[in-house]
Amino acid sequence: MKPQPTEDTIEYYKHLSLFWTDLIHLMSSKPQALGSTGPMRAFAANAKKVSTELIEINQNLIGFNEYLTEYYKQLAETWKEAQKKVNLKAPEVPQDVEQLDAFKRIWIDIFDNDFTELFDSKKFGENYGKLVSKELDLTRHWNNITNIILQSVNLPSKEEIDEMYKEMHSLKKRVMKLELEMKKKKTGEQNGQ
Amino acid sequence: MASETKIDPKIMDEIIKFNKNVIDAPKLVPAPDEITLEVTPHDVVQKIDKTRLLHYKPLTDKQHKTPLLIAYALINRYHILDLQPQKSWVRNLLQQGFDVYMLDWGAPTAMDKYLDFDDYINGYLDGAVEYIKNESSSEKISLQGYCTGATLATTYTTLHPESIKNYIATAPVIDGWRDTTVISNLAKNMDVEKMVEIIGNMPPEFMYYCFSVLKPFEQGIEKYVNFFKNIDNQKFVDNFLRVEKWLSDTPPIPGELFKQWIKDIYQENLLIQNKMYVNSNHVDLKKIDMPIFTQVAVGDHLVSPECSMPLHYAVGSEDKTLRMYPTGHVGMIASSLSQKKVLPELGQWLLERS
Repeated sequence: MKPQPTEDTIEYYKHLSLFWTDLIHLMSSKPQALGSTGPMRAFAANAKKVSTELIEINQNLIGFNEYLTEYYKQLAETWKEAQKKVNLKAPEVPQDVEQLDAFKRIWIDIFDNDFTELFDSKKFGENYGKLVSKELDLTRHWNNITNIILQSVNLPSKEEIDEMYKEMHSLKKRVMKLELEMKKKKTGEQNGQ
Repeated sequence: MASETKIDPKIMDEIIKFNKNVIDAPKLVPAPDEITLEVTPHDVVQKIDKTRLLHYKPLTDKQHKTPLLIAYALINRYHILDLQPQKSWVRNLLQQGFDVYMLDWGAPTAMDKYLDFDDYINGYLDGAVEYIKNESSSEKISLQGYCTGATLATTYTTLHPESIKNYIATAPVIDGWRDTTVISNLAKNMDVEKMVEIIGNMPPEFMYYCFSVLKPFEQGIEKYVNFFKNIDNQKFVDNFLRVEKWLSDTPPIPGELFKQWIKDIYQENLLIQNKMYVNSNHVDLKKIDMPIFTQVAVGDHLVSPECSMPLHYAVGSEDKTLRMYPTGHVGMIASSLSQKKVLPELGQWLLERS
């Protein structure tokens, strides 16, 4: 399949960016190692990872914008259709309080019905699911960049913290079950006596 | 010739009065933060991690023998069952002579992301049931689950039927494929694995989004217009602010629990098909063989009746009752109808079996 011009352009800039990041890193690594110690050195070594994440964020943004545009398009079209229905049902400008209340009721009922129909539809559900998925991809890249920065200053990454949470959860679960079993056993013994 | 538009002067009066009400509002009503939601006196009798077991103080001289534990939903907090004295689910049951406990799930933080169905059912819920059994010297208790709390309570009841004497399922989330609500449409299309992997717990912001697509114009505009129109009506304002405060306080849901809930209930619909497992334990609805009372609201736009009713037909109980009420999800538990109709019927049913 022939690549799309947009993909060509992205690939070109991705390559260009990585080439220069790599080369500058290679050229500067030795003088940098000599001139800097600790966190700054670690951060310089991770510059390529940050650069890669930023390029991929841009790629994800294209997909995200596509689904976001569709999301607002669906909302705008539903609004337009609902307004047409309101105009048909209540063509006159309300001139007293009763008419105004009736007009408001018609407007709210039609808009709520039409928007609920949209939110219930397969096309909305699918697009919204993909939109959230792309948003999560963007969050993942942001998390990755944050992790690189955390590691460069010798702080635990999200994965390392997660590992700790998992271990704590497993330990708490074991303790809780043991405590419950002990309680049940104690109650059983008391009842037996 | 230009047409003449006649505007009723009353419209201008209405607009001026509305503006005056908006300006006067801060002088007439308290800020939501100044309102306390817990109204019925209680003791916190047990704490496990972030969960709390509340025991309400009796309001009658004599109480029925079998205590009742209420497992509230995972969305929002338990306060809706005790929002104000006139519409309090808890207070009504206490006045009918029941010994009432409530399980508050608390507000999970990032470190709770690995909590799953097993922790909630065999840990927190079982811990509460065992505590109540010990305290009341009862072998069995009555259990009520509301909304997603009823999904947990149903699962618990299948796994521990020996501890439950009567089971009440109020708007239970059971058959995800039959659920016709907007929420189920979003849930079915969600990449929940990715969400939990990247974000951890299900954030409250996502729930607020889900609330925003439920009757957006009635709930987003009309409701607040009515609030300012009725700013002089103390009863209306008090009720409005309490419900609004309750609505705006939903805790995160632990990631693993949320993942299993979305996958097993909405996406693969395992619970109603008797194909669900909790920590390798098979969840078989036929094991619910005690008396069961299922309460469904016809106008429920959060859990549709089609999603709740299959529980009534799937359980193994011979003594089973299904009641449908002409109200909505919240109306069933916190309204005049719930006080006049839903709770007296529940109380009578429970009394005959307690």
